[in-house]
Amino acid sequence: MTVISDRAAIAGIGASRFGRHLPESQLALGAAAFRAALEDAGLDRSEVDGLAVNLGWPLGLDYDRIAEAFGLDVRYVNQTWTHGRFVTMALQQAALAVGAGLAEVVACVAVASFTRERDLLGGPGDFEGMREEGGTHAENPPYGLTAPAAGAALAYRRYMSLYGATTDALGEVAVTLRSHALRNPNAVMRKPMTRDDHRASREVVAPLRLFDCCIVSDGAVVVLVTSAERARDLRKPPVFISGMQGIRAGRDEFIFAPPGLGINQQRPGRVTPRPEDGDALRMAGIERGDVDGLYTYDAFTPLVLFVLERFGFCAPGEAHAWVRGGRIALGGALPVNTSGGLMSEAHVSGWNSIAEIVRQLRGEAGERQIAGARYLQWATVWGDSIVFRR
Amino acid sequence: MDVTAKPKPRVTPDNRPFWEGCREHVLKLPWCAECGRAFLPPAPVCPRCFGERIEWRAASGRGTVTTFVVVHQPWFPAFADDLPYNAAQVELEEGPRLTTSLVGIADEDIVVGLEVEAEFDDLDGETTLPRFRPRGPGGPRGSSGHAG
Repeated sequence: MTVISDRAAIAGIGASRFGRHLPESQLALGAAAFRAALEDAGLDRSEVDGLAVNLGWPLGLDYDRIAEAFGLDVRYVNQTWTHGRFVTMALQQAALAVGAGLAEVVACVAVASFTRERDLLGGPGDFEGMREEGGTHAENPPYGLTAPAAGAALAYRRYMSLYGATTDALGEVAVTLRSHALRNPNAVMRKPMTRDDHRASREVVAPLRLFDCCIVSDGAVVVLVTSAERARDLRKPPVFISGMQGIRAGRDEFIFAPPGLGINQQRPGRVTPRPEDGDALRMAGIERGDVDGLYTYDAFTPLVLFVLERFGFCAPGEAHAWVRGGRIALGGALPVNTSGGLMSEAHVSGWNSIAEIVRQLRGEAGERQIAGARYLQWATVWGDSIVFRR
Repeated sequence: MDVTAKPKPRVTPDNRPFWEGCREHVLKLPWCAECGRAFLPPAPVCPRCFGERIEWRAASGRGTVTTFVVVHQPWFPAFADDLPYNAAQVELEEGPRLTTSLVGIADEDIVVGLEVEAEFDDLDGETTLPRFRPRGPGGPRGSSGHAG
């Protein structure tokens, strides 16, 4: 057993309301989520002595502003440059910090006002995409290639060509996640979606259509991480962080494609899952078949297919067929993003799905409860993962 | 930055020979003098052996489309008149892949695996972008036959 396994736990979750063009400031959204998380855990504000932030400037709130505005006095901070890819890292570092005694209670604070800052998401306002050699999702503005959607589209076009996949497989993902949101009263998207609706949605960056792209929304989620011992004494049953593996980087990695697909400088040749992609399961002491539900960063529908393959739930090239017939729907073999995810609940950078994992493992998910959920896995196409257990 | 203009490549000490080559209508790649292979993106060291002796050599300009997209969203005001337009990744004969765009072919006719060859688009006196055109079996300018 690895020393960190089950040493840290999520003790509280809280969310603001989710919506589009919300009038509240980011601080107001963050404060609402923070208050709800403290209430959920039965913790006092003064007991929070650490902060983890993956969405600071230019999109969200920075750690120092949060501490100043919410009257915190923290002795541990981890803040990454603003990206959804750093959700796992923020949570992992929080678990490591409480395990190492750097903090007692770390608040992971995610506030996103995407409707207000949407210029960041592509075009002249996407200054990150303007970096030399382009952005990290293969943005290349001199050719008019911008926005993270471009990277997902490049990856899915190649996937289609290698495996005979169609855009209808993406429709299956979008419709399934919408069906989950219909069972979630807090979801932003509450209108039923059909496969025809998906086919009829406008093209954004082909092969991706509008309904292959997550919603642009506003909202906040706060997740409170503390030691397993401390969590056992708090109001709600702990959700333990049982296993984890870090973000992957290198020439064989492209943020929105599994290794071997052949995007950017990835060497071709799919071998999935690679042994190191099973590290989190091994740390948790479980097999893939023990996972009762999968949660992932579903900014674009292809990412769901890619993560299923990367983590070995199906073989390379199989996911586009594997997802059919309700396999990733509630009641299916492997429910995915049961609250609706970024696609249909809200884009709180994936923290909304972390909160859903906690609700599921506590048995608080209402009509979308996965019966008997014991182990849930958070995993992303860029290779990081956390296994949670109750 | 002028948001109404098409963005220009950011020239750095590492990639300057690439963009200077384009202005001369030569596609140049960085090669590692230690392990003898080309690589992209340009960098001061070889990603394979970490060697520091980097030489710039002319590439064949030939390659294969490995993936492509067609942009419909009007993200850039400066590209509004071009919509829809393609962008692609091309695997060069020398191995590295380059992000670029395709000319001489209609977007709906582009396929992964299309064999292409570099040509050069002089945007102004300072900047030249490499783009790629289908090459047919008969010669470098081929038989693609598509307006585009």
